[in-house]
Amino acid sequence: MSASRRDFVKLLTSSGIALSVSRLALAEEPDFAARETLPGRQNWNPAATGAGRIDGVVKVTGSKLYAGDFRAADLPGWPAKTSHAMLIRATDATHTYDGLDLSRLTGAMKPAVIVTAEDLARIGTRVPGFYAGDLFCPLRKTPLYLGQPIALLIFEDFDAFDQARLALRDATIVKYGEETGPVTRPPYAAFRFTRVAGPTPDAPDVYSPVKNGWVSPGVFNESQHPVWARLPIPTGLDYAEAAGYGEDIRAELAADNPARLVLERQFETQSADPMFLEPESGLAWYDAGRKNLELVVGVQSPYDAAESVAFLLGEADATHKPARINTHFAYMGGGFGGRDHTPFPLYVALAAMFLPGRPVRLANNRYEQFQSGIKRHGFSIHTRMGVDRATGKIFAFAADHVLHAGGLMNFSPHVASVGAVAALGIYYAPKVDITTVSLPSRAVTAGSMRGYGTLQAMTALEVLVDEMCTALPLDPIEFRRRNALKPGERTITGNTYDDSIRTSEILDKLEQHAIWRERAAEKARGKEAGILVGTGVACAHKNYGTGADCSLAAVEIDPQGRIAIRIDDTEMGTGLGTAVANRVAAYLGGVADEVALAQIDAFGPLALVKSGDPYTIDQKTQDAAARNPRWVPEISSATAASTGAHVGTHAAAEAARVIFRFGLWPAALDLWRIGPKDLRAAQWQTARWSDGQLTAPAPAARARRRRGTCACEERRHRRDGSWFQSLGLVAGRFQDRRTKLDGRHRRAGAAPRGRQVRPPRSHRRQVSADRLHPDRHHLHDEVRHAGPRRDQSRNRSAAHRQGL
Amino acid sequence: MTTLSVTINGRTYGPPEVRDELTMNDYLREYLGLTGTKFGCGAAQCLSCAVIVDNHDGTSYTSPTCIVPAASFNGKSIRTVEGHAKNGELSILQKAFIDHFAFQCGYCTAGFLNESQVLLERLAKRRVPRAELEKTIAEALDGHLCRCTGYIKYHEAVRDVILADPQRYLV
Repeated sequence: MSASRRDFVKLLTSSGIALSVSRLALAEEPDFAARETLPGRQNWNPAATGAGRIDGVVKVTGSKLYAGDFRAADLPGWPAKTSHAMLIRATDATHTYDGLDLSRLTGAMKPAVIVTAEDLARIGTRVPGFYAGDLFCPLRKTPLYLGQPIALLIFEDFDAFDQARLALRDATIVKYGEETGPVTRPPYAAFRFTRVAGPTPDAPDVYSPVKNGWVSPGVFNESQHPVWARLPIPTGLDYAEAAGYGEDIRAELAADNPARLVLERQFETQSADPMFLEPESGLAWYDAGRKNLELVVGVQSPYDAAESVAFLLGEADATHKPARINTHFAYMGGGFGGRDHTPFPLYVALAAMFLPGRPVRLANNRYEQFQSGIKRHGFSIHTRMGVDRATGKIFAFAADHVLHAGGLMNFSPHVASVGAVAALGIYYAPKVDITTVSLPSRAVTAGSMRGYGTLQAMTALEVLVDEMCTALPLDPIEFRRRNALKPGERTITGNTYDDSIRTSEILDKLEQHAIWRERAAEKARGKEAGILVGTGVACAHKNYGTGADCSLAAVEIDPQGRIAIRIDDTEMGTGLGTAVANRVAAYLGGVADEVALAQIDAFGPLALVKSGDPYTIDQKTQDAAARNPRWVPEISSATAASTGAHVGTHAAAEAARVIFRFGLWPAALDLWRIGPKDLRAAQWQTARWSDGQLTAPAPAARARRRRGTCACEERRHRRDGSWFQSLGLVAGRFQDRRTKLDGRHRRAGAAPRGRQVRPPRSHRRQVSADRLHPDRHHLHDEVRHAGPRRDQSRNRSAAHRQGL
Repeated sequence: MTTLSVTINGRTYGPPEVRDELTMNDYLREYLGLTGTKFGCGAAQCLSCAVIVDNHDGTSYTSPTCIVPAASFNGKSIRTVEGHAKNGELSILQKAFIDHFAFQCGYCTAGFLNESQVLLERLAKRRVPRAELEKTIAEALDGHLCRCTGYIKYHEAVRDVILADPQRYLV
């Protein structure tokens, strides 16, 4: 392959392997009409008018866009023929793995290569820390989890592969031996978040994670569960201090006090599959002569994928260690979190390394995707909320979260901390004690599925709050208004809540909505008609920018005025590519001719370096590292729904702004013959583009675009801060008393409106499914009560009278 | 083995010998490179793999391809998502899908497009009252799974195409 500046930029060297990334482009099927396949170059581009999306044409014409669409013949310079691979996975994680029975694979069905754990040990692969655990289950060991790969079978052509998979479909392939029970391992993470506020709102906290540091229990019982108690032992004093305050809070919640109402509840959420429609797939080719590995994958975290494959092969023997890895990232990478830090690219790379010279495709079918794809964590949540009856305000809150995390750690520590920090939702309490533990299990690995941690914790919380309002009793919106965390107050970690959250205005909007105002009348009407009517309200917020989020972008204009954008985020279907094109157009006057996503090399020329863990690095270390102007806390992060199109496009918008402010605007002033002392020279923010022409504030003058290039990195890294955004919802549900069938639903939401980066029509999403195909809304999650429900109020008033 | 002859988007392919177990989805994607027809569930439940089958009498229907053998399409004429645009011009449905932001990831789009096209052609032959339109569209698109957008924008896109030419589609 020829390398140009655009498609070959040396990214970094890891273990002596040069990494680079390329944009998949101009793939055409043999004997098929030549056509453009990627956004930004269509003759008819609706996004140019601001009305459509830049990837619209390729998606309605079936052009090659997804990783699963590409075969070797589509890629310039690759061999024409594609080989195919399949993973054999464990179906039992309580017995030892004792070998494979592939006797059904005879004749043409015989695989060309079989790769097992022993082969990986032989060539000297390493497992990246994030995916710690055997990539393949070794012989005589119990699989770590259901679905753990046992072997990789590679077939030279599709026909052999297809016959083999049919032959193995209903066969017992994996042989098991001694029963061992599930493999016992220590938790992936365990934290305690305890906060005791000072005596006044302005006073410093008595104790908080921000003030005193994050703590973990550090002591585990025989079943590897943490011991949360404050133990009389000399070690772990930091934890003991938190546990001491925590136990005091729990004692206060358990105390007999008729002036207070305490509700104690247990919730369970289930593990769920992200259910993205395109199963994971990838294509790889190892040219042993040139020691060059080419990869085609579609992931949400391209930087991690490139780094992880390099680490995997970095210490391999000479035959299996590439000198260069070039990764092609497909335009579509999103999968609701299910393609974020997935180990799948590791297996794609291994397939190529074990059949050198032949491009090999590895693709999950739906069964395999269910069997192995990253899942959402199931949570067990035990909650206690205490409210002062007179004021209706929360005086203390305690919760214990247990995450069922599956076979590999993945993002489980982060999910645990995010869920814990979200446990009190939009509310404020002066005393909070939350424990959380992420436990390994033999289930499929759970990771960062959309809204991770927050979704489980806040849904359970809102259910609890509804019960609390009924038990007090207190109007649900009024309860939320009284208890909502306000700017200037502190979150449960002790961070100051300093954004413009506008929760109270959201609650006002919900209160004024007809669904809420007319709820009593609707209920009365329903009663007469035999219809059960329920109306509810919920309000939640989501933190963002609190992890290792960053945004990379490069924006260029060539002498012909063509605009090219490269950003490191990947398209998740939400229209990120369209949003970035529109945001850049606002400054440069035209929709980009080329938009390239998943470009993790946008800052290659700057040779940025990073060090430390961006989640745990302390301020002193960070300050010292930052003395190197090329140091950044993180070079590229996975695309996340919680940061969304705004963060993902911000660096590009800023780059475009710089080009405009310091390139186009001075040029325009020059053409308009506006001198530097003219007041209008400072009014660059009031200039407007129209039909590719820039109009000066007054008098009218015009300038064409000129050449310019700018790259920006947007970094948000502040260990002592939090950003949140609130969202509220009122909903009415109608059910026929006799048939128990659901009837119409009514719902309305409210959220602060910022600047729109995508056309309004593009925002209507899954909730609309209920209106049309309620039975097809397969994203329904269930949060249910489980276990005993105890009301610790001794005066047996409202809660007991109402049968709670 | 079957000697397969099939017309796809007006072009005749074959006659190759294909195994009887080979699915039409694999024939399209692995042998012809027509990857616009997607593989989603492998169980004919999501219908992202649906193609249009044209009968000799001028009627058409959609068929999943992920579980249907290629051999069963022998002698048939089908249309895939790659065949909707003519001479570089998108069909009215394709434009409507884009205009309505009907999809996000787009993996289900081929199936919805084919199903909607069959509906339009059916309505052009047998118009329905306006009062039955919503139900007609919902029933036609029922069964197609969309993970991202929630269906309604597909529904509205099809409705707008029909309402833009009521004399053709409505009684």
